[in-house]
Amino acid sequence: MNTVLQVISAAAALASVVLGIWLGRKWAPPGSRVNAKPVLWGMTAAAAVLLGLGAYLGLVWAPPEREMGEVYRIIYVHVPAMWMSMLALTINFVCCVTYLFKTSWKTDALAESTGEVGLVFGAYGLVLGSIWGKPTWGTYWDWDPRLTAMAIMLVTYVAYMALRRFVEDPEKRAVWSSVVGIISGVNMPIVWFSVKWWRSLHQVQSTPKTVDPDMTLALRVNAWAALILLTLFLLHRYRIALATREAEVALPEALPTDAPGPHSSRTSEVA
Amino acid sequence: MSTALYLSTLLAQVGSGRLQGGWEYIWASYAIAWGSLSLYALSLWIRRPKADAASKE
Amino acid sequence: MKPGRPISLLKTAGVLLAKDLLIEWRTRARLNALVFFALSTLLLFSFAVGPDTKVLARNAGGYLWLALLFASVLALGESFRVEQENLTLDGLRLAPADARAIFLSKAVGNTLLLTGLGLLLIPVMVALYGVQVAMGVRPFVTTLVLGCMAISAPGTVYSAIASNARARDVLLPLLLFPLIIPALLAAAKATSLVLQGDPMNQLPSWFGLLTGFNLIYWGLGFVLFPRVIED
Repeated sequence: MNTVLQVISAAAALASVVLGIWLGRKWAPPGSRVNAKPVLWGMTAAAAVLLGLGAYLGLVWAPPEREMGEVYRIIYVHVPAMWMSMLALTINFVCCVTYLFKTSWKTDALAESTGEVGLVFGAYGLVLGSIWGKPTWGTYWDWDPRLTAMAIMLVTYVAYMALRRFVEDPEKRAVWSSVVGIISGVNMPIVWFSVKWWRSLHQVQSTPKTVDPDMTLALRVNAWAALILLTLFLLHRYRIALATREAEVALPEALPTDAPGPHSSRTSEVA
Repeated sequence: MSTALYLSTLLAQVGSGRLQGGWEYIWASYAIAWGSLSLYALSLWIRRPKADAASKE
Repeated sequence: MKPGRPISLLKTAGVLLAKDLLIEWRTRARLNALVFFALSTLLLFSFAVGPDTKVLARNAGGYLWLALLFASVLALGESFRVEQENLTLDGLRLAPADARAIFLSKAVGNTLLLTGLGLLLIPVMVALYGVQVAMGVRPFVTTLVLGCMAISAPGTVYSAIASNARARDVLLPLLLFPLIIPALLAAAKATSLVLQGDPMNQLPSWFGLLTGFNLIYWGLGFVLFPRVIED
């Protein structure tokens, strides 16, 4: 029973990711004629079913934890949110690096969408983490290295999104936000180690991290559900970003040709 | 008297080594999680490209 | 950008640095304002915390770096505004100066400025907070230089970006502050160790962190800066 559930949820999530990538290529660009409705509804339904199943497994089916009792059930929403946030921001980093090597509006649009969606998942995941801290450690904020590093990361990406808001010229915005995205991405491991170090020189915070094998199923189902949600969000946000880009650039052929190139823009600027 | 009772239950909890209750934290967490996810979905729906509606009509 | 030989790159950077320093010297009033801004920040910390000398002395490292950080935002913001007002950057690009030389000169210039500011702040800290430099001047200056370098490299890249964006006065600190938290952490820790003595010999590990941070961001800035000011 367990394995069947695991296989089904994993298959649904991976299929959604594949479909999401396909829709991102075919349906998301403006003026697309692809009828995406059935697939989108199917993915949304899969996400809803898996979310409901995950909630049931997490809230009812899974046994209480040895030390933390019922409260640990927060991890079923907290941990997937953090994972999805990390995943989205990792894609963002890859997009930023890629953009500087090969200029493309699509990469820029994907960077924008991953930044924003990663921020959403990270923000509520962080709030849940601090709520979890209240019953287990006694305070909402205990300067736990993991949460602290995550909080710094979120502020960094809030700044990234703010930069995107504050630059009107789409080409400059794309280049600059790529630079900022790379610097921010590189900063993450440094923040993590420095915060961990900073804390460990004070005192060692023993975080009870005993995830029972019985509980992994519930966690996995929830994580797969979150992955489908992430795919859906990214897909829709990417479509919005592409449409915005087309409206900004206002040249019909600027979008499909993937490489306006920094050189052509430079000559036009100088001339 | 009541404080003594409270203290004894507290001590019993410490003895059993497991946090009791705390469902309010769980409900709050689930509400925040699902609330923010649906709010974000709503914001995506509001921001959907307008050309979409035109091409469908 | 031309892949010039390292020597010509350094020479260009030196010329640009001399130009920047000359401008700084000619606009001394701005420099003085910066110094007094940092001084008044230090003064304000003692009012905010209260006249408890022990608390002040214990946290002096953190206060010093916060004062330097706030001053650095002003200094960094100015460093590209000067170029914009005179359209120097366009001239430099047409020259054609290697963009990496511009980065090096700006970052080194900011480091020098901040280090000088930090050196000016020590006597004030000694007077206001009652600290003594337990480990001598040499580790203190090392901390100061490493920390100022850590602020300057990402700060130069970000101020080049922010100076061309809307709401640039908000954008620069918003971008810079979360980024340099590791460096701030290490510099403040190292400074308080230098001021209060280091019985457990933790100083080298914080220096290591600062050095690593500097290597990464000076390298990244060197590589990425040309993309920031192109077109």
